[in-house]
Amino acid sequence: MGLEIDRERIPGFDVEGKDADGMDKGILTLSVGPQHPGSGHFRLIVKVDGDIIVEALPDPGYVHRGEEKMCEYRNYIQNIPHLERPMIADSCGILYPYVLAVEEICNIPVPERAKYIRVIMAELNRCIFELYWLGIYGIFLGHSTMFMWPMADRELLIDLAEMASGARVTHAYFVPGGVRNDVPDAFPEKAKRHLLYFRNRLKEYKDIFYDNPLFQARTVGVGILRREDAINLGATGPVLRASGVEHDIRKVEPYDVYDELDFKVITMNEGDSFARAYVPWLEMYESVEIALQALERMPSGPVRTKLGPNPKGAVGEVFKRVEAARGELAYYLVSDGNPKPYRVKLSVPSFREIPVMAHLLKGAKLADMPSIYWSMNYWPVEADR
Amino acid sequence: MLRELLSPKRESSRGALDGERPANFNILVGKLSEVLVKAIDKPLGYAINWGRLWSLWPVHLETACCSLEFGAASGPRYDVERFGIIEAFGSLRQCDLMVIQGTVTRKMAPRVRMIYDQMPEPKYVIAMGACAITGGLYFDSYNVLPGIDGVIPVDVYVPGCPPRPETLIQGCILLQEKIKRTRFR
Ligand code: SF4
Repeated sequence: MGLEIDRERIPGFDVEGKDADGMDKGILTLSVGPQHPGSGHFRLIVKVDGDIIVEALPDPGYVHRGEEKMCEYRNYIQNIPHLERPMIADSCGILYPYVLAVEEICNIPVPERAKYIRVIMAELNRCIFELYWLGIYGIFLGHSTMFMWPMADRELLIDLAEMASGARVTHAYFVPGGVRNDVPDAFPEKAKRHLLYFRNRLKEYKDIFYDNPLFQARTVGVGILRREDAINLGATGPVLRASGVEHDIRKVEPYDVYDELDFKVITMNEGDSFARAYVPWLEMYESVEIALQALERMPSGPVRTKLGPNPKGAVGEVFKRVEAARGELAYYLVSDGNPKPYRVKLSVPSFREIPVMAHLLKGAKLADMPSIYWSMNYWPVEADR
Repeated sequence: MLRELLSPKRESSRGALDGERPANFNILVGKLSEVLVKAIDKPLGYAINWGRLWSLWPVHLETACCSLEFGAASGPRYDVERFGIIEAFGSLRQCDLMVIQGTVTRKMAPRVRMIYDQMPEPKYVIAMGACAITGGLYFDSYNVLPGIDGVIPVDVYVPGCPPRPETLIQGCILLQEKIKRTRFR
């Protein structure tokens, strides 16, 4: 009685029989997106039975801009700016494998100093992205302070990146053969100061956000991804590590100077939304550690190998992957000996989270949707390419 | 004085409250409204424009990567809330500003139009980023519209890729200037 919905008296609700999709007639189909309070430019078709989601069908593709096709009619250098646009919050991370791949196919050596600068910039960008994501996660769970704090701390790191590269978010800083320009003389000292401040500041996030009973009530035990499912569905990055799998490309397949630096791979065993929000926070400490170590060891010297006007690739193919802020990011590049690539394929972490998201939403409450959606580290622009 | 008042051939000026009046309009009411209009047109228009000016609520609609700098602009360092701009997460019916944050693809364009049609009048549009203006970096892509102005009318264009938050704020101030000078209808 009382709270029980009397379905037979609601028009359109017929408990008996199936509809055209073969679903029970008592099941309501909701179209969430692409304009809605809980997410970005992405659509989910959710079928709910009362408050429980029976099925979630993702509908991506609202920002498909044809990056891969565009690569084919631009040369290796012209491809740099538009390839970082899918994920401008982490623009160094998304450009990193492309630059590594072009260096291998065109056989370009990289100076030692440039490798260290790249590592520093990649780690700064990892923090910049994770702070942005944490802010958005906070505000969609109704925690405005958690929007304001990371957004403010992020600006300090953006200042550093801007000092080195000249642009706030779209740096286009990595080029085949090193980095575009050397960092200013004042950079190492200022970077150290900002990073130490930032590390102290991170501690306060625990008090205001992670220990907050409201945040815990909405995330602990929500959307549990078991270890086997994480592996079978192909989750990457913090989502995979929050389910207890120790997998980090920086350790498994070190690129540039990551094998000389000392850092831990963060894992947690819970696999719920809380763990998926907690792992990036712990990873930011590691990123600060890596950046500080790289700043210590950075040698002096040139930062860029001089290239001819239109570098040609050797005939062949190359596959390169790095650990970006959201997980494993890979480029597959085929060259037929021309200055333009024959085929470029991006494998982006966000796209790989879609099946995981659909799996987790099944059986969850409708009200848990924002917390699951945002814990996935899903970024529609990157997923659609 | 009285004859002048009752004279049927008085030209009625274009009132701001009810626009053009026919010649045989009730003269007394006409005079009254004219006096009223003269007295309150400016202050009323000013007050209504002032209200619109400082409560521009953008729709929560992201179309591409420029949304990142929109987020940064609502953060503490740039803080567009100073200018009365705060994202309305609740409903489209509370919004009067639409910031097109970057690329609009063929799949997104009908949805943008649908959202625009659902917003109540008065509504304003800011096209943010090179992509929303001309297609930007993606001018030769097969799935990107060459600018949003074929789909919805645009008030202010904010160039950049992405525009810095300062540029976006300047665009918002330009829009406020525009509203200030619009005659209230
Ligand atoms: S203008 Fe630049 S930053 Fe903005 S949506 Fe287009 S590519 Fe992205």
